[in-house]
Amino acid sequence: MTTKNTKPATKAPVNDNHLLKTKIVDLITDEKFQLGYARKILGEDATEAAVKTEAARRVEAARQIAAQLEKPLGTSTRPYPMWGSQRVEYNGQTNLEQVLSVIADDSNPMKVYSERPYKEVVALTYCDMPVPSMLPLFFDGLERRKPDSTNRTQMMIGDPGAGKSFMGGLQGRIRSKQSVEVFDCGGKNMNELLFEMVLDFGAGDALPKAIDKRLQAGSLQALSIAKLKQLPSEAVSTDSEGNLQSIDWNYFKGNAKPEQVEAAFQVMKDVSQIEGLDHAGGNALGMNSQYGPLIKWFIEGREGVLDEYNKSKEGSDNALQTVWQFLNGEINTCTVENPLKNKDLTNGPSSFTFRREDMQAGFFVTLTGNKTEDGLTTRSLNKSVYSRLSPQTLPDPTEADWQHRICQMMVGMPVSTLYSVFKDQADANPKEFGEWLMTLRREKAAIEGVPVPELQETLLENWKNVVNASEKLAKFYNAWAGMTDAENLMTSGNTDLIEEVDEEYSKKEGIDFRKIKQHLEEAIPIRPKMQPVESEIQIDFKNFTKQPALAEKEYENPSVAFGTRLVDFLDRMVYEKTEAVGKHKLYEKLSTAMNNFGLRDIVLQDGAHSGQKSVEEDLNVTVYDSPDLTKKSEAARKVFCEYLRQMDPEILEKDDDKIITIDRLRKALKAVGEKNTAETKELFVVNRDHETLGNFPLASARIEDAATYPADKTDADFTLADIVSYEDFMASLALPTVGAKNLGAIWDANIRPLAETPAADGSKANEPDEALDMAEGRSQQGLATTTLRVLFKDAQGEERDISVHVVLNQSRDKALVVGEKLPSKLAQAFKEAGITHVDRHGVNAKAKVEAALNELTRGMPDSVKDHLADAFKYRNDVDQNNHQKLAALLVDDKIDMLLGKYVVKNKRLAM
Amino acid sequence: MSSQGRRPPPDLMEKTAVVAAQQNAMERGCKFLPHGSRLFDVEQGWESITISRDKNTAVADTLLTLESALRDPDNKVIFIPAGALMTYQDIEKLCQRNAIVKTLFREVKKS
Repeated sequence: MTTKNTKPATKAPVNDNHLLKTKIVDLITDEKFQLGYARKILGEDATEAAVKTEAARRVEAARQIAAQLEKPLGTSTRPYPMWGSQRVEYNGQTNLEQVLSVIADDSNPMKVYSERPYKEVVALTYCDMPVPSMLPLFFDGLERRKPDSTNRTQMMIGDPGAGKSFMGGLQGRIRSKQSVEVFDCGGKNMNELLFEMVLDFGAGDALPKAIDKRLQAGSLQALSIAKLKQLPSEAVSTDSEGNLQSIDWNYFKGNAKPEQVEAAFQVMKDVSQIEGLDHAGGNALGMNSQYGPLIKWFIEGREGVLDEYNKSKEGSDNALQTVWQFLNGEINTCTVENPLKNKDLTNGPSSFTFRREDMQAGFFVTLTGNKTEDGLTTRSLNKSVYSRLSPQTLPDPTEADWQHRICQMMVGMPVSTLYSVFKDQADANPKEFGEWLMTLRREKAAIEGVPVPELQETLLENWKNVVNASEKLAKFYNAWAGMTDAENLMTSGNTDLIEEVDEEYSKKEGIDFRKIKQHLEEAIPIRPKMQPVESEIQIDFKNFTKQPALAEKEYENPSVAFGTRLVDFLDRMVYEKTEAVGKHKLYEKLSTAMNNFGLRDIVLQDGAHSGQKSVEEDLNVTVYDSPDLTKKSEAARKVFCEYLRQMDPEILEKDDDKIITIDRLRKALKAVGEKNTAETKELFVVNRDHETLGNFPLASARIEDAATYPADKTDADFTLADIVSYEDFMASLALPTVGAKNLGAIWDANIRPLAETPAADGSKANEPDEALDMAEGRSQQGLATTTLRVLFKDAQGEERDISVHVVLNQSRDKALVVGEKLPSKLAQAFKEAGITHVDRHGVNAKAKVEAALNELTRGMPDSVKDHLADAFKYRNDVDQNNHQKLAALLVDDKIDMLLGKYVVKNKRLAM
Repeated sequence: MSSQGRRPPPDLMEKTAVVAAQQNAMERGCKFLPHGSRLFDVEQGWESITISRDKNTAVADTLLTLESALRDPDNKVIFIPAGALMTYQDIEKLCQRNAIVKTLFREVKKS
């Protein structure tokens, strides 16, 4: 039906790519509102029917756009974590407590109004989720961004590094792919938020580009360089020698103070003249006043963050009061005048009017401020500003917050918070939970444009380790933060630190989220490691000035020793920030905290190693620990095929699948994994027979122990040719599952009957013998050592049997193997398997063995090394007068075995 | 695999090389930049060449080009060549005033 005297109906602008540019009045689905608005746009003359029709059309159009923008979160199947007060019942009494729960409401879910696809919204809101105690503010921020919300601001006050501007930016990023502009208010006149003075470089920034080009080429005139260095330090970077490094031209297009712009204008005029650029792009140089960020964001319908608002110039925000009234919904229009207009011959707009009906859905302003205790430059805001912006103060971080942030830094998502709220389901189905985490992380990686870093992927596969380790780290950081917070020492149980921790130290070394970031940045990369102080190092004096020939570079998976690197770094930081600067008590307390929270070792009261893992152990993860057999099989195949190619250069096949299929290897690993080799004593070694290896990648082996032979038996039941080769045995240790099973199969109690001396009454003495227990692999301390004989072909091609010494820490699944040179392709796999290999003839072999032994016996009494040395002597022929330390014995190739334990091939192929 | 076997399409090879180069660079750790962006160092050589030549990567050698790349919603990965006119503090500053998640690779001389 058409009606007379009606203005043409307005059409809601629908732009699929930029739906947030839609005016809010076109998004409101409330019929009453649209009736009023339809009347307004059609005019007083329009008939009631026309108004109703237009209103109905507008409601329908608004619903359609809203449906595209609305991304629900916190529904029954997409619950979203939320922190808040709840009544909790204890012993019949209810108390109000802060708890972490979820929003899961299908009728009233949380809503994100976003141009992004749902999967991106979900990935960002779950992976970049604010810490639990900030979730209520996050939720409030979402509510204020709804189309029908007239308050388009949110102000947060909190400590530096708490994540305030991050959250403002996050809200914007969730909604749009556009970047969110963050305006630093520090020291600035807040009138500049409305109108600002800028340098106008002309179309295409010709002048700055020309200067950059010359700076890069080193062809700028010396005088120009001197002039450019006069630009404000906020815009110019120099190196330690004062050489000009870069110029931030955009600083003069919206961040600089008017006086800085004026000074820069003069400098640029001079430089363009000196460089002869004033006839080219330089002649377009000018100064203008233009809309400041608040007006620009309003016009463009986008988000912005006003950072450190309460560090702005005192009294400079007086003109903004009506603007805040408009932005918080108190008034519907507001006009502001440009005080810069015509100043110093500049051009620009004379005024701007904010109108509610012009506001677009994407417009929002987040303001952040620091607590007033944070330094002199932070000021208390006017009462009117408090009243209009109603700042929300961030709570101090809780342990759950520390843990959340640690997880985000380590793996790119808050695994601990997600586990905490979905615990029952995660425990019931850890695999599915892990896959869900990985899906979200990969979705976020797609937004980042790169794959998930391997370290994060490995850690996420072992998400339980991440939860355990982050919990201990959070407790430690929380304690550290308490100990370095001078203001609260009395209330945090750290009164004893009053003399050592003052305000200045707190400011400099206090722990906040930024410190965690720095610590993880340091721990992730693999760096050269210092040798233990007592290590014997052999320096090459003769050829010192010649560049050294480096050994073949061994690839190291960054996750294998990530935990060690992190804990080493924390250890060092704790020392450097405390003991090294004379803060002895603080050092003692922090060292105790490190122990108490299980960063390095978890030692029980009786000195035994706990079954619970430390942070170091939890974060030293490898694919060898993966519960996924396919992943293990892939890793095993890589080792298997590279080893075969190295040992047998005739194998030219480049496709691993043509050598052995993953499926075949998976079956073999599964079968080996199911064996109880500690009982069967069966070993498995690499089958290198070309004809059969495709079907049977592993061959069976056993140990022939001379200790079990009758005393009068002089000949062995096997020949040299039956002994497993050194390389094949080593390759078996490097294979996932196989290596662990083999290390479980090499222990025996065959020496005990020979070692026990009869008591006076003729019975066998049965005194505890820790060394013998260690030689049999059943010490309560988890330490064990033994020696095996394998076949070795030396450089001259001569074959003989040699000793391979094994020292094992069963509690920590770490081993030291001392033998000959290792095939280079196995080196990486040894690290993955948690085995340190030392070539007894290699450079600094003794020091390397000593370091490995220290690592294996860490946290244990010194006597364990003596016991290990004695255990070694049960199998090896060490002269009674030889009082060398175990490290020296292990690298001594002159020591023979007393009773040899030979690794001998079985006739059959295993699997 | 026989030599007559089908070769993978060049696009796939390039993509694989880019992913491998990115993974290698990411293994060496990163600097966490404001608002969730990350900066990875990539050694001069095949890795830096591969990343910089990828059609999905924006190359930024001045602060003007870096800021423009940060503001472009279509750019996810930004490559900063070794001779670029910027310091780490410059990169941090620009990421602070443009809240967006990007992945930055900065070319460094081989250690």
